[in-house]
Amino acid sequence: MKAGLFICVYAALFAASFYIYNQYYASSTVEDAGHLLPARVKEIEQADGEETLKELVKQANQIGSYLTIAGMQHSQGGQTYYPGAVMIDMKPFNKIIDFQPEKKEITVQSGATWDDIQQHINPYGLAVKVMQSQNIFTIGGSLSVNVHGRDIRHESLIDTVQSFRLLKPDGTVIRVSRTENADLFPYVIGGYGLFGIILDVTLSLTDNELYEKKTKELDYREYSRYFQEEVKENRDFKMHLARISVAPSSFLREMYVTDYTTAKDQQLLKDYETLKKERIVALPKLFLGFSRYSGWGKDIFWDIQKQYMLEDNGAYESRNNVMRSETDFMTYESSTKTEVLQEYFVPVDEFVGYIDDLRLVLQKENDFNLLNITIRYVEKSDQAVLSYAKEDMFALVLLINQGKSKEGVKKSERVIRKMIDVTLKHRGSYYLPYYAFPSKEQLKTAYPRIDEFFRKKQQVDPDDRFTNHFYEEYSK
Amino acid sequence: MNYRQFVLSQSIIFMASSMVFPFYVLLLRNVGDSYSQFGWAYGLFALTSALSYPVIGKWADQSGDRTLLLFYSLAMAFILLLFPLVTNVWQVYVLQIVMGVLGAVQKNTEKAVLARRADKKQVGADMGRYHFWTSIAAAAAIIITGYLVDFLTIATIFYIASLLYAWSGIVIWKKKKAFS
Ligand SMILES: Cc1cc2nc3c(=O)[nH]c(=O)nc-3n(C[C@H](O)[C@H](O)[C@H](O)COP(=O)(O)OP(=O)(O)OC[C@H]3O[C@@H](n4cnc5c(N)ncnc54)[C@H](O)[C@@H]3O)c2cc1C
Repeated sequence: MKAGLFICVYAALFAASFYIYNQYYASSTVEDAGHLLPARVKEIEQADGEETLKELVKQANQIGSYLTIAGMQHSQGGQTYYPGAVMIDMKPFNKIIDFQPEKKEITVQSGATWDDIQQHINPYGLAVKVMQSQNIFTIGGSLSVNVHGRDIRHESLIDTVQSFRLLKPDGTVIRVSRTENADLFPYVIGGYGLFGIILDVTLSLTDNELYEKKTKELDYREYSRYFQEEVKENRDFKMHLARISVAPSSFLREMYVTDYTTAKDQQLLKDYETLKKERIVALPKLFLGFSRYSGWGKDIFWDIQKQYMLEDNGAYESRNNVMRSETDFMTYESSTKTEVLQEYFVPVDEFVGYIDDLRLVLQKENDFNLLNITIRYVEKSDQAVLSYAKEDMFALVLLINQGKSKEGVKKSERVIRKMIDVTLKHRGSYYLPYYAFPSKEQLKTAYPRIDEFFRKKQQVDPDDRFTNHFYEEYSK
Repeated sequence: MNYRQFVLSQSIIFMASSMVFPFYVLLLRNVGDSYSQFGWAYGLFALTSALSYPVIGKWADQSGDRTLLLFYSLAMAFILLLFPLVTNVWQVYVLQIVMGVLGAVQKNTEKAVLARRADKKQVGADMGRYHFWTSIAAAAAIIITGYLVDFLTIATIFYIASLLYAWSGIVIWKKKKAFS
């Protein structure tokens, strides 16, 4: 009798706990690649079709809820979600809609990744013009931050976009291009999901080519001249990247550059055009692991990395393969720490003075665990309202290992703000998809048109139907 | 409650607790982020256990071992339903205090049962057999759970453990020939 009662009560409580857990806890705690802002969202909705998306916007307008848009969530400052808002997961919305090889054009739904596109166009001998160094990101997420990568001949992503369709906050769908609804074009690209949902995008493509990889060592003082005279002026140089040492014994002095030049014999392309898969990454992962813990590890990692690149000198690689480089060795799991990115843009002719000033700042910060700096080049591209390439710039990507706790964030914030001050002093700017370390003033200096940007947002979306951490943090 | 029921229920309890505790640490890591919070959580557990032993000891002699063991199992079954819902360190602290008391109930009563039964000549062998079965159960649980977490969430583990505690309670509850 009593046991029966117990079983009933227990079953009821069990069901209640399970229900609450599933309703509020299990599915709806989200975080992005920064792991610094776990948040409980209202719901996660899958974008499984255009009708679903329209319905979601309509409902949100009816009941007054807020929407955020998520691709792969590799942004790191909560640009894809906000506590209490509905998060729309765009990943299922990933079809290739139209492909015209002879016109070198492709139209894809915005949840598709660069990998989806590469798989589709590689057999036709075509390649993407501008994308990140890796291919794991969605097209919608890439458009919304206006990405750039290793290519040095096609400016930023915005310069390769022909048009897109936008589901606006009022529920209507419009086409946006440089001629149609042209006023929105430079806002939505680089618009961090604040102007509505990008449905599908038409991009222009270029030929897949065979490149020869050339790597050499340099002193940082030679870099600007080298780039301007030997890389920029030579039309055979198509892609470029460099690294500057973060190892104690050569800190911000030694560099190596890797250039991808058009191979003499393009007939060889067919031997290299198979798309590469992620390779076994145990070794780089191990050495990166050492470098997290000591200066000694950083010295070894730098030497090995440099040696590896130098030995690879003269190797051939197809354009598509250069644009799908490894990411797995970077994956890092820790309960108390995380790895965050920063990216600073600095005019090519300011580079030496900039690095000297940066070194002065960082030499005093022994606790600041800087693991890598990769350098790329972005040509002046001021189409987007939130454009970071106000002139021809070097782009420095910094990988930083830090604590997840409040103190960890504070510590990074202090050093990062100093680095951004140095960057701004050299007419530079910084990249926005990362954590909100920078102050509002720094944002304003780096992006002089930010007020205009927020005003346009108000005009297109007066109810703030679309929001995210970035918007809430900096616009209010 | 006969001896078989006792051993069976305790084995189930050991299974449940060894399933939960290694992974409980993972939960703590999600919720708290410093070693000092970790220290506090376990310290509170040990401290409340310590303070409750004297009281529980007296209690056991008055109300009987079976009642206390039953109370322990059922209370744990309920408490574990709260684990998946924990989001804050203070909630972990509260749970640790409650579990400190309950842990003391279990440990004390378990030993009391064993002592009362002890046949003076072969206490050692009896204890050996008892610990053999309960430890086998614990080991099996730890290994199996290691595989399960890859497929299930930590929350599911807590729910399974709760069911095990409930089962261990029901095992003792069933009327059987009195404990000799
Ligand atoms: C390891 C790593 C390497 C990186 N390398 C580079 C690099 O080489 N070059 C570079 O430029 N950047 C780089 N980034 C930054 C990266 O390009 C951006 O974070 C990009 O936004 C990630 O794409 P995603 O699909 O993850 O977008 P998400 O992070 O999911 O979204 C980014 C923004 O886009 C919005 N959004 C997403 N989909 C849509 C849509 N359909 N409609 C409207 N808005 C949408 C979101 O709301 C959000 O504001 C890198 C980041 C990481 C973590």
